[in-house]
Amino acid sequence: MIRPLAGMARVGLRFQLAYRSDVIMTVLALIAQVFLLRMVWTSVYGGAGQARGLTLEALLAYLSLANLQAFATTPIIPLIAHFRIRTGMVFFDLSRPTGYLPQMAAFQAGHTLGGLLMLAPAVPVVLLVGTITPTAQPLGYAATLTLGYVISVMMSLLICVIGFWTLETGAISLLYRLISQFFAGTMVPLSFFPGALGVLAEALPFKYMGYVPAAIYVGHLSGGQVVQAMIVEVSWIAGLAVLLWAVWRRAHRRVVINGG
Amino acid sequence: MIRVESLTKVFRRPRTFPGPLGALRTLVTRRYDERVAVDDVSFEIPEGEVVGYLGPNGAGKSTTVKMLTGILTPTSGLVEVGGRVPWRDRSANARSVGVVFGQRSQLWWDLPLIESLRLVGALYDVPAAHFTGSLRRMCDLLGLDDFLDTPVRQLSLGQRMRGDLAAAMLYDPPILYLDEPTVGLDVLAKQAVREFIVDTNRAGRTTVVLTTHDLADVEALCRRIILIDKGRVLYDGGIDALVTAYAPPRRLVVHLADDETRTFDIAGGASVPELIGRVAAENTIRDLSIEEPDLESVIKQIYAESTR
Amino acid sequence: MAEIARALRLYWVLQRATMRGALQYRLNTVISVVTGAVYQGSGFAFVWVVMHTFPSMGGWSLREIAFLYGLRLTAHALCMLPLSSLIGLEWLVREGELDRVLLRPLNPLVQVMTKRMGMGQVGDLLTGVVLLIVAAPPWNLAMIGFCVPAVVGGALVEASFHLSLSSLSLRMLDTRALRGFLDDVFSKFGSYPMSVFGGVTQWVLTFVLPVAFVAYMPASVLLDKTGSLNVPALVAYGSPLLGVALFALAYRVWERQLRHYQSSGT
Repeated sequence: MIRPLAGMARVGLRFQLAYRSDVIMTVLALIAQVFLLRMVWTSVYGGAGQARGLTLEALLAYLSLANLQAFATTPIIPLIAHFRIRTGMVFFDLSRPTGYLPQMAAFQAGHTLGGLLMLAPAVPVVLLVGTITPTAQPLGYAATLTLGYVISVMMSLLICVIGFWTLETGAISLLYRLISQFFAGTMVPLSFFPGALGVLAEALPFKYMGYVPAAIYVGHLSGGQVVQAMIVEVSWIAGLAVLLWAVWRRAHRRVVINGG
Repeated sequence: MIRVESLTKVFRRPRTFPGPLGALRTLVTRRYDERVAVDDVSFEIPEGEVVGYLGPNGAGKSTTVKMLTGILTPTSGLVEVGGRVPWRDRSANARSVGVVFGQRSQLWWDLPLIESLRLVGALYDVPAAHFTGSLRRMCDLLGLDDFLDTPVRQLSLGQRMRGDLAAAMLYDPPILYLDEPTVGLDVLAKQAVREFIVDTNRAGRTTVVLTTHDLADVEALCRRIILIDKGRVLYDGGIDALVTAYAPPRRLVVHLADDETRTFDIAGGASVPELIGRVAAENTIRDLSIEEPDLESVIKQIYAESTR
Repeated sequence: MAEIARALRLYWVLQRATMRGALQYRLNTVISVVTGAVYQGSGFAFVWVVMHTFPSMGGWSLREIAFLYGLRLTAHALCMLPLSSLIGLEWLVREGELDRVLLRPLNPLVQVMTKRMGMGQVGDLLTGVVLLIVAAPPWNLAMIGFCVPAVVGGALVEASFHLSLSSLSLRMLDTRALRGFLDDVFSKFGSYPMSVFGGVTQWVLTFVLPVAFVAYMPASVLLDKTGSLNVPALVAYGSPLLGVALFALAYRVWERQLRHYQSSGT
């Protein structure tokens, strides 16, 4: 049961590393992004010491962190699933005893690991551009980020499964990535979102992949807020698990009956 | 029509380097790998001839055709097609040649066949009245009417190839280059393609250069072939003369009672009955046949000799 | 001249055909257009959210930045709508499609340009034009007379980088990742007033990678803000010309690489 999953994770890792030269450019783009954000935010803060409870230093640290997180955990499996459904390779995946969703999750995990490896040389640069100091809440940060990653993978799996109906997940996953990154607060902390947009961003689960862990890291969220966030995250995971199970059952039946 | 003199093409490539910065090193390197693809090739093809241009993979066939069509510039030597140097006058040359690649369609994948033909007509500035006549003729010759309105991606391989032939001849070019036009086709489709080539050659005095691995195409269409290997011309002349000149001996094939098959070369001037008698004396013959040399065995032998 | 008119006519005929082909995949078309619009829209949403708290960015108001954003996006779409096929140039070379292009009596670049229809860029154009119209100051004839060449000039600046780097794939050099990065820099940094960056960054984005010429300088002219530029106002008025010059240069690079392709057969 474990061995095939480890194999899938290795494939995911290799997939990430295979596009090294592309990744160099992607890392450069990441650095440019953090640099741009730093410039823009520094400019608008001007002399202001604090805005929405965040000092400029805390904000810049928040932005660097949120962007590093977003880069390392970029969902890849919707694209992979899209390719495998199109080429019919999905039938090999389905015929393995380990189950389709665990295989995809393993692939994503391997890919994320590869992303972390690729990121290693970029981290010092990003930190230089963004300035991060050690956190007072390392446990809260690690816990909320891990749970947030699980939520992110589950959402990606949901898109993979939807691919059995739409047969097209390429553009959908790009759309998903744009929307999730925006509502995760990779460019603006959620506390800046005005009115209805703020309510929406607070209600959606995307904030657990960016805003919540990064805000805990810089001390913008603390104490009871951390515990509360973790409880909501666990509830999201439980809810998504039920949804995923229900959708998967229908998708699987559909594939078995219609042959994809 | 086509004149080629001492045509040579040497590919000179900067050495490629591995690694993430390899591309950069490749860009600035002064170290080159050289490969002679076409080596001092000369021939002439008069108007209206159908010539088979043959050779094993990597022999330099497609490099020659690319120079004839102006896609590639020669390293040295002369190419003249209809009085023009193709690579210097690529656009004008393009109007006087039709090119069909069996492996690659020039048609628009998602559009109905008729639209592709219209686009080709526009690209080659075929006047509307002329286009209608030309299209009618193509439809009659190739039987396109049934699938003119079908998107190309839904056509069978044979239908697609007929569409490609129509696209290549729509603007009446005096020269037609065919690169493996029958590859992957079934017997009937192959027949249709060959008949079309014979018809266009006869009706319009079209000069045809055919590269193929299917020797049945060559036997059906060409009286002359040019054989090349490793960039050099091995033979240039009639097929009949080739078979007589290079003919390997006829062979006697004997099937023996114990399901064994043996073959004997029949030396020139030897008596066949005598040979059969000799074999029969030593074995129990169940059946026998005599193999006449065909083009394929002749060409195989020539390649074998050139490699030696 | 007749040859240019013919090339333009055939470009239109061929590009329309490719578009008809792409439109057969309706769902895909819709999703692509929406994704293009959302991609660019989310960039502007960021500016909008930030400026909800801070009403001024580098001395520009939200409306002014919206205009700048729209100007850049329209220029970008105008560049990428015809040139989106270059994204797949590596593929065209590898599959031998470029040989077919060279076999036809029409400018090879015109043919390559029509190989694909960039549906995502339609979304860019929609977002760009909407922003441009909504955020524009009251128009007068002189402004329109400057705005049109400014958008074209901006498109040509971007196009010249795109074209010259793409043509390196005729040497089997894969520059897709580099082009993606540059496109990213143009999109991200080009949409802000350069006064936000200041100093070295502004200098680099003006004189090394001329991002400032795409939209920032023309927008400064149209919004009457040339006083705060790091170049004389005259340069800003002449900014559309840079695109023409750079593109002429890029086209020569392309022709050179095409000749190289013809002699090396890569």
